[in-house]
Amino acid sequence: MSPRRKQRLAVIILILMGVSSAIGLVMFSLKENMDFFFTPSEVHQGKKDGGMKPKIGQRIRIGGMVVEGSVSRDPETLKVSFDLIDTGPMVKVIYEGSLPDLFREGQGIIALGVLKDGYVLEAQEVLAKHDENYMPPEVAEAVKGIKHVKPSKQVYIP
Amino acid sequence: MQLRKIAFILPLLTFAIVSVYLYSALYSDPRAKESSLLNRTVPDFQLNDLMDPTRQYKVKDLKGEVTLLNIWGVWCTTCKAELGFLTKLKEELGLRIIGIYYPLDVDPDLDGPLDLAKLTNNVDKTLKAYGNPYQFNMLDIEHQLSFDLGVTGAPETFVIDKHGVVRAHHMGDINPRVWQIKLAALVQQLKEEE
Amino acid sequence: MMIPELGHIFLVIGFALSLLLAVVPLVGLRMQDAQLTQTGPLFATLLFAVTLLSFLCLTYAFLTDDFSVLYVANNSNSQLPYYYKITAVWGGHEGSFLLWLLILSGWTVAFSWLSDHLPADYRARILAVLGWVSIGFYLFITILSSPFERTLPYFPVDGADLNPLLQDPGMIIHPPLLYMGYVGFAVVFAFAMAALMTGRLDASWAKWSRPWTLAAWAFLTLGITIGSWWAYNELGWGGWWFWDPVENASFMPWLVGTALLHSLAVTDQRGAFKAWTVLLAISAFSLSLLGTFLVRSGVIVSVHAFATDPGRGLFILVLLALVIGISLTYFAARADNLRHTTKFHFLSREVALWLNNVFFSAATLIVLLGTLMPLFYKESGLGTISIGEPFFNEMFTYLVVPFAILLGIGPLMRWKKNGISKKTAMLLLVAVASVVLSYAWLLLRGQGIEGLALLGVSLAVWVFALTGFQLFRFFQQTGSLVKIKRSHWAMLVGHFGFAAAVLGISMTMNYSDERDVRMLVGDVVNIQGIDLKLNAVRDLNGPNYSGLVADITAIQGNAKYSILAEKRFYKARGMIMTEAGVHANLARDVYVALGEQLDSGSWVLRIYYKPLIRWIWLGGILIALAGFIAILDPRYRRWKVKSRATVSTVEAEHATP
Repeated sequence: MSPRRKQRLAVIILILMGVSSAIGLVMFSLKENMDFFFTPSEVHQGKKDGGMKPKIGQRIRIGGMVVEGSVSRDPETLKVSFDLIDTGPMVKVIYEGSLPDLFREGQGIIALGVLKDGYVLEAQEVLAKHDENYMPPEVAEAVKGIKHVKPSKQVYIP
Repeated sequence: MQLRKIAFILPLLTFAIVSVYLYSALYSDPRAKESSLLNRTVPDFQLNDLMDPTRQYKVKDLKGEVTLLNIWGVWCTTCKAELGFLTKLKEELGLRIIGIYYPLDVDPDLDGPLDLAKLTNNVDKTLKAYGNPYQFNMLDIEHQLSFDLGVTGAPETFVIDKHGVVRAHHMGDINPRVWQIKLAALVQQLKEEE
Repeated sequence: MMIPELGHIFLVIGFALSLLLAVVPLVGLRMQDAQLTQTGPLFATLLFAVTLLSFLCLTYAFLTDDFSVLYVANNSNSQLPYYYKITAVWGGHEGSFLLWLLILSGWTVAFSWLSDHLPADYRARILAVLGWVSIGFYLFITILSSPFERTLPYFPVDGADLNPLLQDPGMIIHPPLLYMGYVGFAVVFAFAMAALMTGRLDASWAKWSRPWTLAAWAFLTLGITIGSWWAYNELGWGGWWFWDPVENASFMPWLVGTALLHSLAVTDQRGAFKAWTVLLAISAFSLSLLGTFLVRSGVIVSVHAFATDPGRGLFILVLLALVIGISLTYFAARADNLRHTTKFHFLSREVALWLNNVFFSAATLIVLLGTLMPLFYKESGLGTISIGEPFFNEMFTYLVVPFAILLGIGPLMRWKKNGISKKTAMLLLVAVASVVLSYAWLLLRGQGIEGLALLGVSLAVWVFALTGFQLFRFFQQTGSLVKIKRSHWAMLVGHFGFAAAVLGISMTMNYSDERDVRMLVGDVVNIQGIDLKLNAVRDLNGPNYSGLVADITAIQGNAKYSILAEKRFYKARGMIMTEAGVHANLARDVYVALGEQLDSGSWVLRIYYKPLIRWIWLGGILIALAGFIAILDPRYRRWKVKSRATVSTVEAEHATP
């Protein structure tokens, strides 16, 4: 190979290495920051197809309905806890801060946070869409056409 | 130089792949999907009349006639918006429309828990203002029937045939266009069915 | 009573006119009939006129509370103040699409009036391309998405009200500006397509299309900046950017547009990067269309998304596929003939601008990936995911560091030649000084030293300093600030704006203090040396809402001011909205949002301290301003006078192989 071609080859290899490491970095970061969505029963039993279950310490989003009568506020601080339910067992959400304007018992919400032992989610964010006739589509899909038990009558299965 | 050619086709290929996904995503909105209750009988229920708590309805009260089951509430603006058109359907086609009233646990008027007298008063006012398409309204106080039907919000409408079987489920409001495209032909066909 | 029908008829006429605009000038070219070829401006003017009339019809329906029009009934209310009745015209899907069309026809007519210096065939082709784009959209609005549909004979006595989120001054101007930007790229796209058709891909198309690119880009910048400010005030979370899919949809055309501006400069002045510039021009408009599709088809869920049925989404997708598919196919077929003929040194300005394009393209790809990934995952049956903000923040941190360093050096480089090596010592000195100065300043502020903040502030100072040095050099060369070329001023202002935004972002992200507190009336909390006292929570009565307002006094040293944080309940929609109370100056914002009342009678208040957050929007405004200054450069204004001369030289250039 002529020196000019050699130089060219070196440049191409350098660019390829740069590009592939950049892509690798992007993919890694993407994977790290991917928040999977689960319903409360999927947290207990795993996804219907594939059986994927969230690990303790993983950051996930959980969508479900707030169980009536389960919201309890700490009288001194802004800590609040409530149960989320879809069609099966529940997940307890603990959160500190101001709840969204449209947070109501019986409403569908999405909580983003880290899963703790004992089916508890330590939430960093609680979302309720700014519209009453709205249910997060993920929740809508999960509860679709399945026999429901009214949240307050649900028997708690640990 | 072949490599150069390929590089120029790359944007086109990328776009082609992306558009395949965009296309499939168009039809995967859960709100656009058919209910799994489709072609099954409406589940059993026992609900009180919204205006007259002494009257009770069961699943047999839905049978015998092609019916629209409409889930609504005075708190839901879109529901109010469709009342006019539903009334027109009732009057022009003689279609039976039955309301399932979906109460909110806490009324957004910020004044505490559900008050039945106030609610019926409110419903009365709304129906007078926008039109009353309903033969009667059932109060789904515990949201039991709505859950059984797979309701995800309001307004939603189910088309029930003469045997009490769910034949269509529409999420969102019914307006002239939705009616023409999605429901008119079906209702006509169901009316002619035995 | 027939006004809405009239509005619809105007749109149908608009469809017919866009057909004429698309076909007649091309037929004229084919038949070599000069009169037919020059009909473009006439059709463009008529198209704009009927679209404007149609828009006025809809506005009239809103102002007269004509609730027999479905769209008015869904988006207005008799109690709504008149100025919101006007903005409600574009508060929903159908009306905002009409605004989109009004702006598209506006750009088309503006181009047709300001383009008599272009070769006749080129101008006719550009107008025809705009006509083809219009056909699809006028067809869409007339058959699938008419804002004039009636609810007769049973119409509601009152309307459902405008979405309270949109009842804010920011909303009055945000969408029009954003659309001005989005749609403005259609003109640039038409330039590129016409150039591909004729094969006239020399420097002249770059020169001619530059002012149009600048205009669209400047409006888009302004639109995005105001959108960010609107989200900050209206969403109640104190955030200024959420990486929401819809925000991303407007950010991607901006990124590509910025790359395009810089690449056009190279093509214009040096004749290099020809194929790449064309691809960017196509991409900017394609990404605008993709954004439109994402917002309007319901495939993504977002605060801003319009609920709609898949039929409409499918139509837009088909349009998207036609526009992008045809243009990229053309590109693949024609761009191959373009070769770089120029040579330049490894440390020349060409390479700096090439790197600029690499960064902007990488940023676009990252945003595209993060926006579409959830969709890919879901459609491949891999589960429902969302891409967290940390992904975007991390990626942009990696990108902005080398980019800002480059941005400082790039303008000091020379075309073709290496002119930067001599300045190495000076650059090193500035770099060290930037870090030292930033460190000292952060230390003085007394909020501690955060690594990322130090990095960000140093980069901002670096860009400030080197851009200032540029200004000094221009001043030396011309001897007067007024004599510095407008295009140079534009670059300086734009780069200062970038530095201001980087400063604001790094300070806000690292030193914000955010607290949720519970307060009884009379309580005082201290945040970053500012005492906030809750005086009272009173009832509030607006025209179409009721609610509560928290009256807070903030005391900082000797200064005292009042902050009002509102929680509004919009009756017609039954929606609760937070209207944050903000006290702002260049050094910091104090942001208070009223939360719920607890059983004990105390209130939850969200209190934020946001240092230098105004600098983000200041930066955005400066960047947009830079675009407008650049358009005013006499280089572009001289066209009219010299138009004949320009044409002849271009033809001469074109003739030589």
